[in-house]
Amino acid sequence: MTGSRKAAWIIGAIVAFDLLFLALPTLVVLVASFTPGTIITFPPPGFSLRWYADLLQARDFADALWRSLQVGLVCTALSLPAGTLAALALARFRLRFATGLQIYLLLPFTIPLVVSGVGLMLVFGRLGWLGAVWPVGVAACVINLPFMIWAVAASVNHLDPDLENAAANCGAPPVHSFFTVTLPAVAPGVLTGALIMFILAVNEFLVSLMLTDARTVTLPVLVYNAIRSIITPDLAAVSVVYVILAVAAIWLLDRLVGLDIFLKSKQG
Amino acid sequence: MASTIHDKGAGRPIGLRLLDLLEAARERLWPARMAALTPWLFLLPAVLLTGLLAAGLIPLLDASLRPLDRATFRLAEDYALGNYATLATRPVYGVIALRTLMAGLVVTAATLALAFPYAWMMVRTPHAWLRKLLLVSLFLPFFIGQVVRAYGWLIILGKQGLLNALLDGLGLPPSSLAFTYTAVLIGLVQYMLPFAVLMLAPALTAVPVEVELASASLGARPFATFRHILLPMARPGIVAAGIVVFTLTLTDFAMPEIMGGGGNDFIASAVYDAFFQLGDAGLGAALGIGLTLVGSAVVGVILAFFGLGTLGYVEGREQRS
Repeated sequence: MTGSRKAAWIIGAIVAFDLLFLALPTLVVLVASFTPGTIITFPPPGFSLRWYADLLQARDFADALWRSLQVGLVCTALSLPAGTLAALALARFRLRFATGLQIYLLLPFTIPLVVSGVGLMLVFGRLGWLGAVWPVGVAACVINLPFMIWAVAASVNHLDPDLENAAANCGAPPVHSFFTVTLPAVAPGVLTGALIMFILAVNEFLVSLMLTDARTVTLPVLVYNAIRSIITPDLAAVSVVYVILAVAAIWLLDRLVGLDIFLKSKQG
Repeated sequence: MASTIHDKGAGRPIGLRLLDLLEAARERLWPARMAALTPWLFLLPAVLLTGLLAAGLIPLLDASLRPLDRATFRLAEDYALGNYATLATRPVYGVIALRTLMAGLVVTAATLALAFPYAWMMVRTPHAWLRKLLLVSLFLPFFIGQVVRAYGWLIILGKQGLLNALLDGLGLPPSSLAFTYTAVLIGLVQYMLPFAVLMLAPALTAVPVEVELASASLGARPFATFRHILLPMARPGIVAAGIVVFTLTLTDFAMPEIMGGGGNDFIASAVYDAFFQLGDAGLGAALGIGLTLVGSAVVGVILAFFGLGTLGYVEGREQRS
């Protein structure tokens, strides 16, 4: 008995540490954003909304946020069909070269981001795509596509193939069957993947750093450039925008599919 | 053809009519005799998108084989291995590579140690509220980008930061963690923790709780159950989490760049600097190719031993080793 009591204590202590460790940067940014001073000190000397007021005046931050949202939309719009269809194909059909295909589609994951960034910069340059915002969305889609495929594939692996057979048996032609049987069945995975892709794209930094210039700079790149010079509280207020986005995404995810989806076993 | 779906009555819902239109278009563009190729059509967008990435490797490989001509400051016309020779002989790259590799090992070990109990409690707890708390605490930082989190850590570890305020309150001497290697490692572990937990959790779910209970009731101490039951049964998840954390650390740019203060660059920073500061695309490309090869080799070796694990998109006979 004492052994299991001790184990419970150790596990509890590590998890408590994890919780604090995970939350700390977010909490600190939140607290710092309300500081009245021009530098960040602890404990904060008071409470003020001045940095939020400043933020509303700062056009460059608002423009960068808008561009980041555009990047998120382009990325989601592309990865939604591409990732869903690929996951369906991989999971539902016996394909030749299936292992090779999986390895190829894992390339975005095996190629280091800095290499992907430079490579995409060269390819986009040749295609004449540099200097606009939408190609950053394409790039975000390319480098994060495995997350979309993973999310949908997890749902497909749980899908009963007899449903589609039954639909076909009852005379449903392929497009009908796809939209009324297959897609609703994998909807949790599709929604989860789409949400994750949007958030990842809005946060995308390293590849954006190489694909954007002063006119197309996205929010994470702008924050990065600002951190490099001097750490001021206005950045904390900008960061809170990301905290709000994250909270909204988690709330949506929980409402639409339930966060428990990530606990499901693949064999299940 | 007597099924209701083909009854084209006036009462047919608008949604189904739309599907009828799509079906007719499909019949024209993709007739039934093409059905065998349908999976390949499904794969096409993803293959093309990933192709943009693959295409980017070609000019990189090309540039890596062309040393910079110092006289004209352009890449050489003829292929040579000069860039790779530079990498092998310039000690600074050895130092950077070693620093990056060390970080990969330390961060992977620390992250797995912190993530395993978290994932276990998330999967096993009987309390719904605790599971929800653990899930939300995991996703909040996961959904907040690396730059913002690094900024948070700078506020914590900085000279007038939270840590020094706490140390001061306790009457202890101030620390100077900001812009050190340790700071980079702390930031990286925090960044990787959600990835690791999310890869471990499904693997732990696959271990029936009864097996753990049986082990305990047969007299195994908790550590023995962990060592002989949980660890081997959750291996696919541990391998996947380890690979993800190790490769992401090996190739990370933002944390060492922001938290390291310029003196703790990783390989990715060296690649970036070669391209955008030194203006030596050949050297940068060689560094990038080298980093890709090292990363792929590590992943390849681990996969050869353990199979695609939870990293593969689908469970199938082909994927099991």
